[in-house]
Amino acid sequence: MTSALPVAVPAGVGHTPTPAGRRGAAGRTLASRVRPWALLAPALVVLAVLMLWPLVQVFLFSLQDYGLREIVSKEPNWIGTANFTEVLTSEQLWRVVLPNTVGFAVAAVACTVVLGTAVAVLLASLGRVWRTIVSSAIMAAWAMPAVTGTYVWVWIFDADRGVFNAVLQGLGLQDQAVNWFTDRWSFYAIVLLNVVHHGFPFVAVTVLAGLLGVPRELLEAAEVDGANGWRRFFSIIVPQLRQVFAVVIILSTIWDFKVFAQVYLMPGGAGTNREVLNLGVWSYVESFGQNRYGFGSAIAVLLTLLLLVVTVVYVRTILKEEEL
Amino acid sequence: MSVLSTRRASTPMRVGKAVAVALLLVFTLFPAYWMLVSALDGQAGLGSSIVPAEPTLDHFRFVLTEGGFTVFLRNSIIVALGTVLISSVLALLASVAVARFRFRLRTQVLLMVLIIQMVPLEALVIPLFVQVRDLQLLGTLAGLGIVYVALALPFGIWMLRGFVAAVPVELEEAAYLDGATWGRMFRSVLLPLVAPGLVATSIFSFITAWNEFLFAMTILGGATENYTVAIGLRSFFGQHSNDWGAIMAASTLITVPVMIFFILVQRRLASGLTSGAVKG
Repeated sequence: MTSALPVAVPAGVGHTPTPAGRRGAAGRTLASRVRPWALLAPALVVLAVLMLWPLVQVFLFSLQDYGLREIVSKEPNWIGTANFTEVLTSEQLWRVVLPNTVGFAVAAVACTVVLGTAVAVLLASLGRVWRTIVSSAIMAAWAMPAVTGTYVWVWIFDADRGVFNAVLQGLGLQDQAVNWFTDRWSFYAIVLLNVVHHGFPFVAVTVLAGLLGVPRELLEAAEVDGANGWRRFFSIIVPQLRQVFAVVIILSTIWDFKVFAQVYLMPGGAGTNREVLNLGVWSYVESFGQNRYGFGSAIAVLLTLLLLVVTVVYVRTILKEEEL
Repeated sequence: MSVLSTRRASTPMRVGKAVAVALLLVFTLFPAYWMLVSALDGQAGLGSSIVPAEPTLDHFRFVLTEGGFTVFLRNSIIVALGTVLISSVLALLASVAVARFRFRLRTQVLLMVLIIQMVPLEALVIPLFVQVRDLQLLGTLAGLGIVYVALALPFGIWMLRGFVAAVPVELEEAAYLDGATWGRMFRSVLLPLVAPGLVATSIFSFITAWNEFLFAMTILGGATENYTVAIGLRSFFGQHSNDWGAIMAASTLITVPVMIFFILVQRRLASGLTSGAVKG
């Protein structure tokens, strides 16, 4: 393929001895071959230094006993795969961290996608005024920063003075205040609420855009044939929007594997409650809490590999749809 | 009106829909509402009433004066603006390259940009902490800004690529026919037409830097005077009790600008996230 643009333009059209005119066609071609790389260079340098090289580094760290001493001295202290052996044989990983990470991601993706799709269908059935009102409310939920959103949920469920306990006690459903943050299940139920609340608007907005693109004739024909609402949804809309759902599910999966602030900022979430660690938080508290950067890196590498699998599926989905 | 059905809805159907809308509005708005109520309530944390029991602006006053939140706000604005400025320029140049030129490795570059967005920050934070430390920039806003540029860049390139591709090629050709050089064409034709996309991308980069927590906590460490809003909030958490009124007032100050920006770019954001993946 030739360069789409500049080459197609004959150089020196005006035949006047302007600077542009003096350069021959060869000069243009050379310039157009170099130009994309010149334009890309600054961004590529930044990405290489701040994203790609660190990825290599985190892998190198994971093969070392890398602590404060090594950070200062820069002396590598290779220990092979000992960090990985320790991670993969630890009870903490299999009993707590992996279930918390994977189980949570599965639950969060399911809830986010189901709720988001239901809201999209609801939005599609509303008139213009109500659609604007509801979608603005959804935007407000989406816009809530993860940090402040998490603090608000913590405040709502606060053991001593939170509104949730107050309401339960007021209704007589509970005799005394309960600390919802100590138990692993109720802890993650709150994280789930937080993440779904923040994540479903993206699904709703995206699926709605897809819904509005479904040909009306198809739905009308199905209705004439006597298909009810559920039938129409699953037989016509879902197949039409397969691509949309694939992208929404995969992106949500990637995001929900990586939840950090939503866990870290909860009471006990920053490592004091070992029962609620997930891969990201575990890696962080081992590194920066215990100064075991090598061990933390090994956990981070595992998380990255896990996400890489999902990412490969994502990229294949996109490549199927269009040529980049 | 309805998209999914051509028939007029029956009465029970309409009641059901009204209930669903009401529940949805409560679910989506309650956290923001509760944040605001607690921020405005002089008795926040003492009683739980659905409207402020003792309406006051004291929490906001405390947060902005003794709480030192003005410094955090200033720091966040500096870092976010720096991030926006640098990452937009880099992203614009790169997106022109991938949208307008066909060159070897183009697809590979695009794939890299796509894949790199999926890398968990938890994996980057350890090596970047070491890098920033080696540069002697720990605890500084510059060290944080450098990292944020890298975080904002891949999405910026991905999003702007769509905007650049949407500019009709004929306009560029017309500029060349008039004797314009590539640089002149870029300035006079491409840049003005991509400007709306640039604004949307800039707002997104701003929000990224404004909301970021993990790197701010790690890189700024104990340098309280350089704290951004996201970690400045933690200063209101006491050893034994938390000043929830102040925390919610500060949270409101952080959230409101983001909400305004979000509503400004909402449509572009949704399409940007899925562009290249979803058509129509």
